[in-house]
Amino acid sequence: MTAYRRIVIEHFRRPRNRGALPGANRSADGANPLCGDRIRVQLLVSDGVIVDARFTADACALCIASASLLTEHVRGLTSDDITVLDAAWISASLEGEPPPGRQKCALLPLDTLRRALA
Amino acid sequence: MSDLVLEALANSAEDLVVQATLVSATGSSSKKIGAKMLVGASGKLLGGVTIGGCIDAQVIEAGDALIAEGGRRLLDISLDDDEAWEIGLTCGGNIEVLMERVSPTDRADPTLTAHAAVRDALEADRAVVVVTSLDGPRRSLAIDENGTRTGTLGDVASDDAVLAVATDVLSSASRSEMVTTPSGERRFFFERYAPPTTVVIVGAGQIAMSLTRFARELDMRTIVIDGRERYATRERFPDADEIRIGMPSEIVASIQTGKRVAVVLVSHDYKYELPVLRALLRSPLGYLGMLGSKKRGVAVRDLLREEGFTDDELSRIRTPIGLDLGGKSSPEVALSILAELVAVRSGKRA
Repeated sequence: MTAYRRIVIEHFRRPRNRGALPGANRSADGANPLCGDRIRVQLLVSDGVIVDARFTADACALCIASASLLTEHVRGLTSDDITVLDAAWISASLEGEPPPGRQKCALLPLDTLRRALA
Repeated sequence: MSDLVLEALANSAEDLVVQATLVSATGSSSKKIGAKMLVGASGKLLGGVTIGGCIDAQVIEAGDALIAEGGRRLLDISLDDDEAWEIGLTCGGNIEVLMERVSPTDRADPTLTAHAAVRDALEADRAVVVVTSLDGPRRSLAIDENGTRTGTLGDVASDDAVLAVATDVLSSASRSEMVTTPSGERRFFFERYAPPTTVVIVGAGQIAMSLTRFARELDMRTIVIDGRERYATRERFPDADEIRIGMPSEIVASIQTGKRVAVVLVSHDYKYELPVLRALLRSPLGYLGMLGSKKRGVAVRDLLREEGFTDDELSRIRTPIGLDLGGKSSPEVALSILAELVAVRSGKRA
């Protein structure tokens, strides 16, 4: 099994930060309209810093793994820090490139988190 | 149909109406036990106790006579027809039709009193059984699933005597039965009224489209759920009672569950199946089925077991879903799902 597959499966089966975030002051919903992935990212932001981040999703393994990794990473970051995150960062975190046609699944959590911060 | 007849009777402008109810059938009957027809003094008709033709004509004639004469009758009608038999166009058998003359303006009428109890129960989402004596004076007793009784069969001892059968009918189907009462063996018709089954369909694909069409014929409500706006559209689901778009697990969690709610997972996509099952496995449901092979069912159960769901909870998921009718097309699969749902609801399948 490749590292990419191992990471995706590990985070899908044991997602970090899955569930509602009580006291969240930022939230956004995201969807991939054709494949049906649905995600909500909730944040607790204080003085411009992300103190906590959680997500709820009815989504594929790749999307959930990406959300799991992302919510682990963003604690302590500012909006400016988030702007540098991109598809390459996600691939690096997953230790592999999502297959063609699945980029949207991997990017949905990041897009949604950005909208929560906007 | 019976519910519509109740409404019509309650709101009837007729001075006198005969209510005809199919109370038993041997051989093959074209209508469900409990089917009703109203014959009005003005000649108006509503509903039917058979599929039509000569049998309903006999009921109408008897109704007209009862309007004039009053009282009630139990019609015993043979479905055999010599000429039809010769050419193989009859199935044979007998039906019994209870004919009762009702005055819609008389609120003390036992039939109307029972109907009012039925309407109250249905509005409160409860089932109710109306017990009507088929011999002796015209009396009815409505027994609500919450235990409330309305009306009487003559005395408390008789009312108590029918309770066991009525309780059984609450979870099965209408039927006529002999019951031992303090005044001897008596025959009653036990008529079940229940709020419609709601079928919650997760996944707005082809099978879901067929499910909503067929469910409407079966007097079931349908709620179609999907996260994809282009799938869950009114154009694709003209027969659905509700279409809801969003995160399926959140939507199902917001639906009031209970024994008259069936959930059918036909998304064939774990992204919806797992979250929806997590949301529902510990909720009361009349039916929970998931499209997929036996192998897939095992895999889904294994994943949920890892999360702490018990074998008892996981055994509630029916997968492969539906009765094995051998069909493969979307309408055929939908038919097999609804066939299983009906079998479970009527106690024919555990």
